[in-house]
Amino acid sequence: MADAEEDTFPRGGPSGEEPDLTDETQDFRFLAAISREDASIPKRGEKDFEPHATTLQSNTLAASRQAMHNALSFQRVHTPKNHSLATYHPETNMAYAYTPRGPLFARMGAVLSATEDPLGNDELRGKRLWLLPEEVLYLMDRGTIDVRWPPAGEGGEGEGEGLVMSLQGAYAMFMGDEGRVGGALTFERYAVYSNLKRAGYTVHRAPSWDSDDGERGSECYATIPGMTRAWHVGLFNYYTSWWNIWGTDDKVTDTERAEGPLVRNKLYRSYPEIYRRLALIPYHDPTAQFGPKDPESATDPAFRITYHVWKPGSTTYKKSAPGPPDFRVAVVNARDSAVPTLEQIGALLETTPYKPPPDNMQIYQKLKHGYKNVILAIVDQGVVSYLRIADAAFGREKSFERTSHGRGGKRGGRGGRGGRGRGR
Amino acid sequence: MSILPVANSPAPTPNGTPAGGTPEKPVRPKKKGRSFAQIHAKPLPVDIHPLPAFHPTNPISLLRIAYTWISHILYQPTSHPGEPYIGYFSPETRSVHVTDPKHVRALWEMGFFGKGTLSRSEPSWLEREKARIMTEMRGHGGRKAAEDATNARREERRLFKLERARAERERTERQRLVERGELQPDESGGVEDIVVEPESKAEGEDSFVSDEQEVIESQPLLEANHVEPKRVDEVLEIEDFPEPQVDNQEHLQLTLEEAFFLSYGLGVLTILPPRATDSPPMSPKSLPKDYSNNDVLQLFCQHSSFPPSPTPSIAPDDQFLLNYVVYHHFRSLGWVVRPGMKFGCDYILYNRGPVFSHAEFAVMIVPAYSHRYWNSPGGRGQRRVAEQKDWWWLHCVNRVQSQVKKTLVLCYVEVPSPFEVNLEQGIGQTLACYRKQFPNFYG
Repeated sequence: MADAEEDTFPRGGPSGEEPDLTDETQDFRFLAAISREDASIPKRGEKDFEPHATTLQSNTLAASRQAMHNALSFQRVHTPKNHSLATYHPETNMAYAYTPRGPLFARMGAVLSATEDPLGNDELRGKRLWLLPEEVLYLMDRGTIDVRWPPAGEGGEGEGEGLVMSLQGAYAMFMGDEGRVGGALTFERYAVYSNLKRAGYTVHRAPSWDSDDGERGSECYATIPGMTRAWHVGLFNYYTSWWNIWGTDDKVTDTERAEGPLVRNKLYRSYPEIYRRLALIPYHDPTAQFGPKDPESATDPAFRITYHVWKPGSTTYKKSAPGPPDFRVAVVNARDSAVPTLEQIGALLETTPYKPPPDNMQIYQKLKHGYKNVILAIVDQGVVSYLRIADAAFGREKSFERTSHGRGGKRGGRGGRGGRGRGR
Repeated sequence: MSILPVANSPAPTPNGTPAGGTPEKPVRPKKKGRSFAQIHAKPLPVDIHPLPAFHPTNPISLLRIAYTWISHILYQPTSHPGEPYIGYFSPETRSVHVTDPKHVRALWEMGFFGKGTLSRSEPSWLEREKARIMTEMRGHGGRKAAEDATNARREERRLFKLERARAERERTERQRLVERGELQPDESGGVEDIVVEPESKAEGEDSFVSDEQEVIESQPLLEANHVEPKRVDEVLEIEDFPEPQVDNQEHLQLTLEEAFFLSYGLGVLTILPPRATDSPPMSPKSLPKDYSNNDVLQLFCQHSSFPPSPTPSIAPDDQFLLNYVVYHHFRSLGWVVRPGMKFGCDYILYNRGPVFSHAEFAVMIVPAYSHRYWNSPGGRGQRRVAEQKDWWWLHCVNRVQSQVKKTLVLCYVEVPSPFEVNLEQGIGQTLACYRKQFPNFYG
């Protein structure tokens, strides 16, 4: 039963075409369709704005209410086939299970190494799967595991099963204890975790879960251009300067900068020439950042990457070697923080890998792709909204160079050549 | 809108075509032939003089290049218009007004600067007004402006909604009757194919009906009356009504950033002090002393807050300075930057211009006080934008942008300390202290 619910979820990204159900008054009759065997993705009903005293309408409303009631009062049971037992471990605030069954465990939990396992390196270590608080809560919520309190007796291990941990008990134990091992599982983090898991993603804690992992590897920065590139640039400059004998591309003088106009009244061969004279404002160029801007800079605790997320159909993902994640999600509490300042967002983006857009991409896509990106999951009282933030280098995309090509007769003779080297 | 000085006399049109003369249409057809790409070929109100392209297969092209090059040396063509465009600063509206129709056309066509005061963006009021009067006179009008298309679409949508509401009402009424047993359920099958009834149309008609609709409505009438061949001549005769004489009551309104860019960046606009309203338009000879770019910057900064600050001192995070830095930067990259007021953001970026494609990006300016000064106790109190925006603000902005299919760009402008901002070192040197970063958001 439990798996059916997962199948009905649309397999789209968080920003995909998933209908936004919060938009309108919901017709909960679709819930009745889900709990049947031949479940399919429900269709949304039509909006009804006001009562118009027909029995049809009141019947529809009653059916909808009944369906919601049925869905909420549905008794969640452990199916005997998939019944897995886990035991709570108070010292680490985790739970462990011995070879639990079910497809979910292919992407959850971890068998710890001999030195890390809190129960030591006994003969069962290889079978013992340790579950983090959010994993336990999620699995309990969907009825996959049955967590027991540790047995009371001294040598209790394996002798008898402890008392059943209730769902309330689990929330009380696992949620929001700052001092516990492995950092706090706040409600916001759990909301995002369960939301992503239900949508089918594979979610793991990021290294910066509870601390600022000071390391920003070389993958976070642009690579220093090699020899070929430098040679190319040199040649390019040589050509441009040579062409400038023909053109009239001279520098803007200090007086012009101080008093204006930047574009003097004279003969110009092309518009890029004019645009280059207008360039004045310095901008942040992610391709020119080869190392940390400020070695001391640390991420703000409110803006740190919380989860690494892999797509549901990821073929490269392996539990033992997950590989680079598809998304990096930072969970943000909307009530405790504001729209990030430049320092906050800059430090956060600095911890993400450098992923430049492909050269042949269209300009709009290129700008939206950005050079670095992170997904913010902003949680406001349990409502999660995902925002993708990318470092768009507008300053690098010279719109005028590109348009000067498509413009037919208006193309400048000499200056246009300068633009061609940069690629469209 | 209805009281307008309209000269309906059969006087000759400005082009000299006598009324009722031969069907010789002077300007219109030529204008119609120009595509947007031709009208807006120049991205800035500055001319360029390219050399002709060289084709290796065609040696004569070399001669052409030489000829053009030599003629350019001899005649020295210039980039700027002979007379600079004139704009009058208007402190009340905090904008710069361009009143000369030629200047208005030039600034709109080359770079999409400004907005017509009586139009949505392109100053098209005169054209629309003439078309409206022509429509009244002979039943169908001339050129359609963008506003007409929008109005027609809105009208259509409104009628559709009325119709939908009516159908809904009818359906519930029928349902009620069925439930009361006054109607057989199978009769309700006819509900779906309701056609628009004349009453609902009359109900929907108000003072404003788009001209397209009138054309459509009048056509079946003509056909029903069995149009005889003579009719064609009559139509032609009607076509020769003189163009109505309408005083142009519209002028172009430049935002302060646009005006400063045209003046400081391109040097094609002269900004003059506000004109006394009742004095006759001044001839170029007796122009008042215009502002220098430095004065203009001071003036605009003073007027960027309300009420205008009386002192000429400029704060580093002055709203005008921040806006201008962003405006200038995007303009210098080749974007067409237009105010984003309608979309709840600071600027929207067009690739070539509003007539070619929709804007893809919406820019929101966020001052970044990352300089040490602003984080010192003294500097903190000096910040103009004291508080960070909350997430609800961002969600609101982003919601609107995704609804209009734009990507939100948060443009962080690093505000320099007051010690760096000193206009005496020059405008460009000052503006170069501002640094920008753009993360873009979308959810």
